[in-house]
Amino acid sequence: MGSFASLRISDKGLLVRTLSLTPAGPAVLPVDRTDASRIAPPPLARDRAAATDADLMAWAASGDRLAFDAIVGRHAERVLRVALRVLGDPAEAEEVAQEALLRAWRNAAVFDPRRASFTTWLHRIVLNLAIDCTRRRPAAPADLAAALDIADPGPGPEGLLAAAEDQARLHRALAELPPRQRAAIALASEGMDAAEAAAALSVSRRALEGLLRRARRLLGARLRGGEPE
Amino acid sequence: MTTAMRPDRFARRLETDGPDLATWPATERAAAEALLATSPEARRRLDAAMRLARAVEAALPRPDPAATARLRAAVAARIAREPLPAPPRRGFSPVFQASIGALAAAVTCAAWLVFAPPVSGSDPLAPLLQAAALVGDPL
Repeated sequence: MGSFASLRISDKGLLVRTLSLTPAGPAVLPVDRTDASRIAPPPLARDRAAATDADLMAWAASGDRLAFDAIVGRHAERVLRVALRVLGDPAEAEEVAQEALLRAWRNAAVFDPRRASFTTWLHRIVLNLAIDCTRRRPAAPADLAAALDIADPGPGPEGLLAAAEDQARLHRALAELPPRQRAAIALASEGMDAAEAAAALSVSRRALEGLLRRARRLLGARLRGGEPE
Repeated sequence: MTTAMRPDRFARRLETDGPDLATWPATERAAAEALLATSPEARRRLDAAMRLARAVEAALPRPDPAATARLRAAVAARIAREPLPAPPRRGFSPVFQASIGALAAAVTCAAWLVFAPPVSGSDPLAPLLQAAALVGDPL
């Protein structure tokens, strides 16, 4: 004999699971409050635009591809931007960003919003992939400055020329940074707080501060046209 | 109450936390603001850090909108063909289970070797060996 379970609202307004085990009558089991709050609306009734990332991921984990499409719509640009800022190569960045989003889909059921925010979790995926990608590169690093399509300063007003020179120096300095320092700078520019950025990079907060300090020292020194102190 | 901040500590904070004081921890921010009110050197350092932050922000690459659109389309196409996400694995990992199994087998063997009774009393060849010894069979 099979058993049948269904959800209904009880007389007291509580969500209860009705479990019928025997023809004699249903047994009514109270449902845990947290369990009840996690019950998803049916797919056609879901407001994906208004849903939180955590809800979208929970729905995606149950096979809702539209929910994951909403996640991609929210985060694709950021994922691509972070990958590009670590890798410097637009084609590589696109590949890494695509792989990161696919991994997020495949592991949607693993994501636990109680352990990390979705953005932290997603950044960790993309940063791991991007840093791995830099390790697989041939010995000679890609010419990041060239890949960033630096404008030739050319002739022009003195201020513009100086600004363009500063930009060129910084592009070269960014290319010179080790990948993890570039990643730390990329996360800082995304406005992530230190705890989130450290979690995304899988390092301690102290280690993150060290990465940022060394990166900013080098960038500052290069901007001044010198070596870091 | 906030402890006084010295310019060198302020400079270190600028390097780790950046020049946007609003993002600093509250106590550090209050100490930094007190220092800025009195120290021209701190103000000079803050200006330099802000210039650097602006320059870095301008120098960091931004993805082309067309690349973002391409990425979204590519991911949507791949997701449409992908199987549904795998359910989270419950319980112990297979490696852990195998380790526990191997350990249990080793402990069982060790216990058997230590606690098994001696077999000499029930050795089926014992009478034959004794008889052979009596008749002087060198065997």
